[in-house]
Amino acid sequence: METETLLLNMGPVHPSTHGVLRFKLRMDGEIIRDCQIVVGYLHRGTEKFGEMKTYLQFIPYTDRLDYIAAMPNNYAYVKAVEELAGIEVPQRAEYIRVLVMELNRIVNHLVFMGSLLLDLGASTMIMYGFRERENALQLYESLCGARMTFNYIRPGGVREDLPDGFIPKLNEFIKDMEKRIVDYEELVNGNEIFLMRTKNIGVISAEEAINYGMTGPSMRGSGVDHDIRKLEPYSIYQDLDFRACMRREGDSYARYLVRVDEMRESLHILKQIVDTLPEGKTINQRYSFAPNTGAPSAVTSYFPRIFTPPEGEVYSRIEAPKGELGFFVASDGTTKPYRVKIRSPSFCNLVALPKMVVGLKIPDLIAAFGTIDIVLGDVDR
Amino acid sequence: MNPAEELKYLLPNSVVSVGVQTNKPLAVIRKEDFLKVAEKVKELGFDNLSVITGVDRVDRIEVIYNLFSYKKKQNLALKVILDHRSPEVDSVISIWKVADWLERETYDLVGVKFNGHPDLKRILLPEGWNGHPLRKDYDMNTEQFVTIGEDGEDIVSTDGSNLLRRK
Repeated sequence: METETLLLNMGPVHPSTHGVLRFKLRMDGEIIRDCQIVVGYLHRGTEKFGEMKTYLQFIPYTDRLDYIAAMPNNYAYVKAVEELAGIEVPQRAEYIRVLVMELNRIVNHLVFMGSLLLDLGASTMIMYGFRERENALQLYESLCGARMTFNYIRPGGVREDLPDGFIPKLNEFIKDMEKRIVDYEELVNGNEIFLMRTKNIGVISAEEAINYGMTGPSMRGSGVDHDIRKLEPYSIYQDLDFRACMRREGDSYARYLVRVDEMRESLHILKQIVDTLPEGKTINQRYSFAPNTGAPSAVTSYFPRIFTPPEGEVYSRIEAPKGELGFFVASDGTTKPYRVKIRSPSFCNLVALPKMVVGLKIPDLIAAFGTIDIVLGDVDR
Repeated sequence: MNPAEELKYLLPNSVVSVGVQTNKPLAVIRKEDFLKVAEKVKELGFDNLSVITGVDRVDRIEVIYNLFSYKKKQNLALKVILDHRSPEVDSVISIWKVADWLERETYDLVGVKFNGHPDLKRILLPEGWNGHPLRKDYDMNTEQFVTIGEDGEDIVSTDGSNLLRRK
């Protein structure tokens, strides 16, 4: 039977686009023949703000990129500034940083699981995911007063030390999560409908994934185990025991499984940090602007508000929950960055989506798109 | 020998100089030969194009490519220096597909033209936007408003008087 091609507009306001994203689809019956992605509806000019604010003032703006998991954003920017200026970080601060970032990875993957299952028509998982996420957010609240936009990591260390009772509560969270992950797997992994919706959907090979700039768990679903924490260990990752999770199939189901495995690995890292957390300062005292009264962490920030790194350029990247998050910072020796460029994982991972979905149906687009796991704040910046 | 020096050895006429970009080897490339060099770099195993950054240096425009090789676990940064009045360089979309969006973004925000890109249009800002925001001479004082036209297209104007705005 002959059919006409139909142009179908999906979004920018659509529950399955996780924000404001628009697909322009060319449909042949039910089959997607061409998919164009229109982004930019949430563009706030973060990079321009970077040029207008001082080094310290820009940190809260990074919180608003990937707002599901903001700690890695803080850290990626701060790491770039530290590399540029050659700032050393006390060991305890590095441990706390990795602790909060791995906790954020769990939070991110919980939201990922919840929203993916919700998109596919199962509403239980998001309730469970948000229940566990709430415990983690309360930990963050006790740590820095904010639940999602932290502004916690500073050049030279972290803003404050862990509050009293943080570690026992974290231990409780870890113990709870270990049982919960088993529950999730029982709920989701063998589910017939879920398997039909995700297996062999949105398949991409390893070479293509790399060529299309995919990184993070989305790429590791395609049979490569490239993880920046392993390739170029930063912070204290070289001292920690963990593996880069990987699946071979390259389909949506594989990308989902990688993230479940990653939650386990993150819990494993958290347990190691709890066991080996060293005592000491949480910020490099050389950059202290407040008089040192001897009281530990009495002042919220030891870092000077006016700070001039030497002239130079740096590109520094980390393994954020969604993939490679990099900051390019150019300094001209003044108090503000000359140029800040954000390489966001969501933006680059989206490039591969049209490649994955051509020839599939619209419900499959939802599954493939859901397992790439993007946040529009991170795409549009 | 780091990758930048290796590149200089292989293509002495195309590589202007080698240096460092804070602990990453950097090679400055002649803009006319950029596509040829990029092909060579891919052959050397640099399969991951991390990011393309355009920097407005007032008298010139620099475009910086950060690459990583998963096979060799090496970093390499390439830099081309372009004329400020008409910044143009060859597109590398045929080598790394991710360059599609990265180049469109650089075109959108910095105003670098990538020759050979099949669909070089704005990506984050609407078509019709005036100026490239990350240029240093971008006019920050003129407000621009975006409305939706009858066919769903974006209409940019500097007149916001007919929009609903809080007084």
